[in-house]
Amino acid sequence: MQLAMTVFSVVLGVTVVVAIFGYLIDRTVAGHERKEGR
Amino acid sequence: MDPTHLHLLLNHVPTVGFGIAIAMFVLGLAGRSNDLKQASLVIFVGVALITIPTYVTGNAAQVHLQDRGEVSDGTSEGMVTLSLIETHEGAAFLALSFMELTGALAWLALWRFRRTMNVSPGMYGVLLVLSLATLGLMAQAANVGGMINHPEIRGAEEMTTFAGHFGRIAGDYVRDTPWTWIAAETIHFIGLSMLVGVILLIDLRMLGVMKFVSFAALDRLLPWAMLGFAMNTFTGMLFFAAAYGQYVNNPAFFWKLVFVLLAGANTLYFTFDRTWALEPGRDAPMLSKAAAAGAMFFWVGVMYWGSMLPFIGNAF
Repeated sequence: MQLAMTVFSVVLGVTVVVAIFGYLIDRTVAGHERKEGR
Repeated sequence: MDPTHLHLLLNHVPTVGFGIAIAMFVLGLAGRSNDLKQASLVIFVGVALITIPTYVTGNAAQVHLQDRGEVSDGTSEGMVTLSLIETHEGAAFLALSFMELTGALAWLALWRFRRTMNVSPGMYGVLLVLSLATLGLMAQAANVGGMINHPEIRGAEEMTTFAGHFGRIAGDYVRDTPWTWIAAETIHFIGLSMLVGVILLIDLRMLGVMKFVSFAALDRLLPWAMLGFAMNTFTGMLFFAAAYGQYVNNPAFFWKLVFVLLAGANTLYFTFDRTWALEPGRDAPMLSKAAAAGAMFFWVGVMYWGSMLPFIGNAF
């Protein structure tokens, strides 16, 4: 049970960090492209 | 050609090849030449891809030397020691991590270039610092690697670096703790879903499915695919470091790497393909369709050879 919780926490943590990172990249790109009228 | 030869051949790419890429990048920045900047970014990505088999063949060469009884535990004079090999591995593991980060950022800059012809100075600045740090780490790894092959340049005292035996420490940690391999395996599948999911969507659009969707909208998803690839590269490095013995003589792993390189080359082609600018409802040109079909074949091939690791080879 403890192993399952540890794996779940690590996977959730990594997924959240990657999701935030991807969202920030997308927001930055959207901002640049809006400015350039694309 | 045995893995030692292959390693000796490939190891010039992350050192000499990467140095040339940095020189081109600096000249491109100084001379404000977009062509030079783009060319250097392509080489950054290409070198980052080739560094993966360079690292892998290093451990294969180690196994080869050990099988031939040419590695000593430190008691035999004149022979290369396991400790020196693990110092080289540690420096190379750190250098590989930085190289993959540099390659990912260079790809992002190339992608931005294609969409807007405009990459922020901040991004170039980060890329310059990261690439110089990578070159330093790679030179250190190459220096220790040279000592393995050239007894004449080994000093009386064994060479050490600040990375220590980092590759072995990381590998043994993954091997000996119960949660790391399972967590890395789960993350590897999440990364695979992100990567192949986005790539297949774009490839299907190229081939004529969902013509009402614009290429530009799908193209915006590509950084998510690159994040998936980064997750898989990182977790793949952990698997390999933990149990390189089950990969180095595994034909399925060899072919998986070949398909990763082919898929990577295909992805590089798409950073120059102009199809993404086509309006909704328009058909992609034949060359783009062929490249899209190739991408599907290569990525499915990567998954196939990954699945075959325990069945054709000796993994797990």
